[in-house]
Amino acid sequence: MPNSPHTDEPSKPLADMHPISKVSVGQILGLVEAIDEVGGSADVATISQEVEMDIDRLGPIIDAAELLGFVKVEEGDLTITDLSRKVLHANIRERKKIIREIIDDVPIFRQVTDMARKAGRPLSREEVLGAITGQVGTHQAEDFFNALVYWGRYVELVHYDSESEQLSLRAPST
Amino acid sequence: MTDVRPILEVRHASRSYFENGKEFRVLEDISFDVRERDFICVVGPSGCGKSTLLREIVGLDRPTSGEILFEGRPVRAENPRISMVFQSFALFPWLTVLENVELGLEAHKVPEEERRSKAKNYIDAVGLAGFENAYPRELSGGMKQRVGIARALVMDPVLLCMDEPFSALDALTAQNLRDEILQLWTNPEIPPSAVLMVTHSIDEAVYLADRIIAMSPRPGRIVKIEVVDLPRPRNRKEPEFYGWVDEIYSLIV
Amino acid sequence: MALTRKQLRPLALGLVALAVVVALLDPASALEAGTLAVLAVYSTIRMFLAFVLSLVFAIAYGTAAATNKRLGEFLIPILDILQSVPILGFFPPALLFFYYSMNGSPVGVEIAIIFLIFTSMAWNIAFGVYEALTTLPADLQEAATVFGVRDWLRFRRLFFPATIPRLVYNAMLSWTVGWFYLVASEYIASGPLSLSRPGLGSYIYAAGQAGDVGTLVLGIGTLTIVVLLLDTFLWRPLSVWSERYRMEQTGGGEARQQGSTYERLRWLPRFPRVRSELSKRLAPLIHGWNRAATPLDRYYVSHPKLVRTVRWADLTMFLVILIFVVAAGILGLIGVFLGPLPPLAGEIPAAVVASLGRLALAYGAALAWTIPVAAWVVHNPRASRLATPVLEVIASIPATALFPVILAFSVLVVGAFGLEAEFAAFLIALFAMQWYLLFNIIAGMRSLPGDMREAAKVFGLHGWAYWKRVLLPAITPSLLTGSITAWGAGWNALIVAEYISYSGTVYHVGAGIGYLIAFATYSGTDQGRLLLLSVLALIVVVIVMNKLLWRPIIKRASQRFRIEIQ
Repeated sequence: MPNSPHTDEPSKPLADMHPISKVSVGQILGLVEAIDEVGGSADVATISQEVEMDIDRLGPIIDAAELLGFVKVEEGDLTITDLSRKVLHANIRERKKIIREIIDDVPIFRQVTDMARKAGRPLSREEVLGAITGQVGTHQAEDFFNALVYWGRYVELVHYDSESEQLSLRAPST
Repeated sequence: MTDVRPILEVRHASRSYFENGKEFRVLEDISFDVRERDFICVVGPSGCGKSTLLREIVGLDRPTSGEILFEGRPVRAENPRISMVFQSFALFPWLTVLENVELGLEAHKVPEEERRSKAKNYIDAVGLAGFENAYPRELSGGMKQRVGIARALVMDPVLLCMDEPFSALDALTAQNLRDEILQLWTNPEIPPSAVLMVTHSIDEAVYLADRIIAMSPRPGRIVKIEVVDLPRPRNRKEPEFYGWVDEIYSLIV
Repeated sequence: MALTRKQLRPLALGLVALAVVVALLDPASALEAGTLAVLAVYSTIRMFLAFVLSLVFAIAYGTAAATNKRLGEFLIPILDILQSVPILGFFPPALLFFYYSMNGSPVGVEIAIIFLIFTSMAWNIAFGVYEALTTLPADLQEAATVFGVRDWLRFRRLFFPATIPRLVYNAMLSWTVGWFYLVASEYIASGPLSLSRPGLGSYIYAAGQAGDVGTLVLGIGTLTIVVLLLDTFLWRPLSVWSERYRMEQTGGGEARQQGSTYERLRWLPRFPRVRSELSKRLAPLIHGWNRAATPLDRYYVSHPKLVRTVRWADLTMFLVILIFVVAAGILGLIGVFLGPLPPLAGEIPAAVVASLGRLALAYGAALAWTIPVAAWVVHNPRASRLATPVLEVIASIPATALFPVILAFSVLVVGAFGLEAEFAAFLIALFAMQWYLLFNIIAGMRSLPGDMREAAKVFGLHGWAYWKRVLLPAITPSLLTGSITAWGAGWNALIVAEYISYSGTVYHVGAGIGYLIAFATYSGTDQGRLLLLSVLALIVVVIVMNKLLWRPIIKRASQRFRIEIQ
């Protein structure tokens, strides 16, 4: 997989995308801030103590941050990247823009948005689940769908109506 | 410092409960002022009555003696110029984010077009653009609180009251949200004019506030009002920060 | 049942095609089916009218009791008493009252039937509203106050949505109960008073009178189909929709999408396109209403004195009517007791004891079969998947519809000993009580955490020990809830069961309070006072049982098992 121009990391294969389905933007940014406060680099144990969260809960957040290119993990040490420094100094709207470019490159996200674009109409939850299940299995498909909706909404590329369970594309406001 | 009247004046407010003929004093002789561009945190041990104080300021409760004046007049709960953010978010589960944020505007008979666009503005300002039609159950804790904040800010309040707004959130989300609130605070175009926040975390108070009101254990009295002059953004690892935390801690025990 | 939406459409089309073919081949039966359909519509409309009335009453009453503490202290005990009154005791006199006050027009009968059904639904729903509102989280109420949400908006955005889950749930229960009373009232109207109105209940009654088994089966079958149709296309979708209004337990947990309730019922048609079309069409109406209402609202807000005056007038009117009704009732009662007692009044105590005995017997018999069956169903997942739908269908047939069948069966079995009336009464009471017990016990056993059952297996708890230590404690709260409801149903069933007319003959038990009440109503001579005394006796027994038997047991059980009951 080629390096995408926007992140420091090569795009990861699908199976590794599980972490971002259980984690919120606030937590990832909070982690980055916490590492920044202690100088930009620290080992996991220190961070765990600083934020008073045990490793079980911290793990998925670290994974997600790594996936999105905000944190480098080397032998139990966490270091923030240039990208995350950029994000730290950005305001709320700019942060969204930066994350939007990252999310748009995630293969599974691309796949679903392409599907929606080709169909030219809103997709039902069933249809999207069907498309994802083939690659990640039924058990994880739900989580992925939720993550898609969550991140898609956050970066304002996706519109989801939970009543009628229809997913559609939208243009971001900024 | 202009000679303008303070936004909020608390004058010798006390609160007691009477049960079985006995008097339980919760608050005793609280007096302080809140002026424009004040960011005040009230800290104190559990049970010191700080939440009760906040509820009296907002108008949900009344002091047994003393008075609380907002813009020169006794407080009324429905006054849109005081807004509140709740510890448990208090979002209506059957309303979308947009509907929740619009709630206060709807109650004050603001026309639909206007309240829709105002609400959308503030939803965007707290970083929730894209979630307008989501329901609270689809949101994480941090996001729910953002809705609560947007709902409070959309009223253009002069005073924003917050009751331990981050205590129901995990540490990372809380820190992230604190920073974003500071970002909003430093933008003079966005209300409110003043913030009054209750918290049990001294760290948080020193991180956010210009002035800290330290309270004693029950019955709650003001021990001291400290002015924190650290420049923002504040770093919790700096020794000066620790210094302040230690001092406030010693005041409230 | 794993039908998908796609499979439903061809199935429906197939059924319609089948119906058309049958109609063409056999016009007579088509006509019969058409008549039945019309009767079904009549009965269903009565139910709907009663339900709407109940909703309006319950929401108003429940909200008033919940929002005003002092009012509540006085409204809720009234509701309590009203709930304990066995409704059927009042029906015959109520029927005559409405009929004559409408100058003998059939509208009077309809009103009476609807009124009866209303009384079977309204109290329960009102309680649901009250409970939903009194458990409203404080922070939501505070938020509403802080943001200025008052009066009508507060009702629309806070109180009403908060009651929706309970409303839907209680509505479903009320309808089940309501069918029972619908059939019973159509019966009674068709019976000795000869005020029959078209409907499924009357149809079944007529078939019973004629001894026509085939028609009888048709009638009962149609009723069952109607109940099932409503359940599938109205109640299930409604309860899925009402999930949206359920409050979350925690404040700051992780985000989660909708859980299993949506999943299980996903195959039901939800017609998203129809709904969005409807909401698009209705939107201008709603907007118009809102815009029109705003100036009125503003006027209201700026004239608080007007609002206060209106509220005072409301309250005063209500109090005046209440005082009047209570005074009339008390005077009437005094009149009865001061005058000479009717001759048969001496039989009342014996009658009460006899009926009590009958119910106790039926209760024991019901427990004897429901507990083992429930245990079997719960411990055999394959069996339960088969058995549950079957049981639900059978249970949805109101016991009153089965009277003719039960009576015929009794005559067959014990006719030789002349005990058919007693046996029939016993069976009918059994039928009325057993489903409440069965389903509550199943729910109670199901609520036993799976790992407890596994632990019991691991520790080798079998047979009696397992029952004593695990199952019985687990089902106690639900058993109690079910028993209270079952006994309530039993009393009402007895009123109709102790005096039945079938195939031209009247079957009645030797002694029984239901018999006395029915006798006093139908005997034609002036038995008004006997009727009043018998009904009073019944009410007293029910209330006494409630206070002296059920309440203390519940208290002890909830302390012992440290669980919340009801």
